[in-house]
Amino acid sequence: MFELDVATRHIKSRRRQTLFSIIAVSLAVGIIIIFMSMMGGYTSILIDSTTENQAHITIMPKEGEDYIQLYHGLENHIYTLEGVEGVSSFFQGEAALQYKHNAEGVLLYGINPDDETLVVNRDKYMQAGEFASIENPGSRIVMGAKLAKNLELGMGDSVTAQIPGAEPTNFIVTGIFQTGTPVDETMAFVNIGRLQDLYGSGDVITGMGIRLSDPYAAEDLANGIDRETGYDAISWMEQNAEILTLLETSEGMVYFFYIIIFGISGFGVANVLIMIVMEKMGEIGMLMAMGASRRSIMMIFLLEAAILGMMGVVIGCILGYVASAAIASIVIPIPPEMYFGMDHMPVVIEFKNFISASVFALVINIIAGVFPARRASKMDPVEAIYSV
Amino acid sequence: MSEKYIIQIKNLTKIFGDGVEIKALDGVDLNIEQGEFLAIVGPSGSGKSTLLNQIGILDTPTSGTILLDGVDVTKMSDKQRSVTRNKQLGFIFQYHHLLPDFNALENVMMPMLINGVKSSKARETARKMLDEVGLEDRMKHRPNQLSGGQNQRVAIARALVNKPSIVIGDEPTGNLDTKASENIYELLRRLNHEYNQTFILVTHDERMAAKTDRIIRLVDGRIAEDSGRL
Repeated sequence: MFELDVATRHIKSRRRQTLFSIIAVSLAVGIIIIFMSMMGGYTSILIDSTTENQAHITIMPKEGEDYIQLYHGLENHIYTLEGVEGVSSFFQGEAALQYKHNAEGVLLYGINPDDETLVVNRDKYMQAGEFASIENPGSRIVMGAKLAKNLELGMGDSVTAQIPGAEPTNFIVTGIFQTGTPVDETMAFVNIGRLQDLYGSGDVITGMGIRLSDPYAAEDLANGIDRETGYDAISWMEQNAEILTLLETSEGMVYFFYIIIFGISGFGVANVLIMIVMEKMGEIGMLMAMGASRRSIMMIFLLEAAILGMMGVVIGCILGYVASAAIASIVIPIPPEMYFGMDHMPVVIEFKNFISASVFALVINIIAGVFPARRASKMDPVEAIYSV
Repeated sequence: MSEKYIIQIKNLTKIFGDGVEIKALDGVDLNIEQGEFLAIVGPSGSGKSTLLNQIGILDTPTSGTILLDGVDVTKMSDKQRSVTRNKQLGFIFQYHHLLPDFNALENVMMPMLINGVKSSKARETARKMLDEVGLEDRMKHRPNQLSGGQNQRVAIARALVNKPSIVIGDEPTGNLDTKASENIYELLRRLNHEYNQTFILVTHDERMAAKTDRIIRLVDGRIAEDSGRL
């Protein structure tokens, strides 16, 4: 493999020029890895907080109906499906909450806290009190922190709920939660039996939340439930379609930038190789006279492109890793409740990002090497030899 | 008859240029035997180097045939030409054209490495060859650490290391002073006797040409005089 010998000698003998092209490649690889890590961080935090704080599948009543009747049978059926970890039936209604001179419109959820905890871990977000305090059909209420603040009330205070068609009812605040999302301002939980009584609806529900072991199975399973039962089953993806489309679009945009960044580094490599080819004309001619085939000459310069690329990729990966880790340790100077409960920059350092950035960079480098390599291999040996 | 000649050139013509045509070679016929030590002389522009490049299959003729060892090289594919250059031909140019990033030993190894010889074996053969040209103590030196004469010796070692049947030299002493030229000539002569390889040297140094066995004088792309084997 004399081609490799010649290629490495060419690179070694012009350290300064090759150093700059290696720096260009490593910066490109490093920056792209940082980008990918940060994008991945934001995506995963968005998706995690979505799948953490929502039912993976929500079953709604059939079209034209307000309630799901005889829901216990449906509950049992859902539990038999593969991958289902929890089912929580709920009765949801609009209400106005009043405390002294403050009033706020809310979505009142009647739930069974034992079931609800299996679907969404509400305990985790409790700021005060216990979520399980609404276990019995008494007049207790658990509400979001922002809502409590707006109503200017605290634990143990008694709030009046105005429900259409029912007498005003008092509830005692036994829990306050904070998720860092808009529901903190609009959501309150009471016992499901109590709410059914207030609405006078009998033992029916307005919906059912399901948690799966694999959130990404939600789409298929929702379609299955839809077909099988006739109820309207909605996956979390469908519910958050806008966010997911936004994520996909921004990912597409970012790939466009990746190509530009790699393109620029590729030109750097091409430039160095063209210079080497021009300088080495006599040498290339002599190699041909010694019997090196055109393919071998081409190979020499493609190898040079690959070696420059490799060195850039290795340094770039180290750079990307160190920088991503450093960014991950940056403390965000905003209160955690403002932003999905984050206190650090969201960064996900993934092995596959290193692989894809490296492969991408290598391919672009080799493509950048094709032009100078072809140019070298197409030389007329006589012209090349007598050029010196 | 054909076995006697290592090189047979018939009616070789080379025309350069698209618009204004220049006939660099004009119907050259030439037969050269194995082991000859001959000089091609002539004024500049007479076609000496062109003829040499044709024999070295670095270039293709406009018409005519060249048989090296009985094989018509003008009909060869690019790949076959490379292989033939590697195995049958050795080149020495006026400028040594050593690879500047390799030392003397590595430069001499290069034709063998191109041929796919294992590096350990190539190293051994190259060492013997450098011994032969009197550079046993300069093997690790790079071209920029050697004198012009020494570099030309390395180039000769490289040209001969694959045991080619034909060695062609284009002004091999053109860059050297009289003393160094003399030494290079003596070396080539000795190697020619030792290995019975065919040497074809282009030169305009009449004194050097006079020491060869046969002088071919080219004028305007034609053979004006052939002294025959002396």
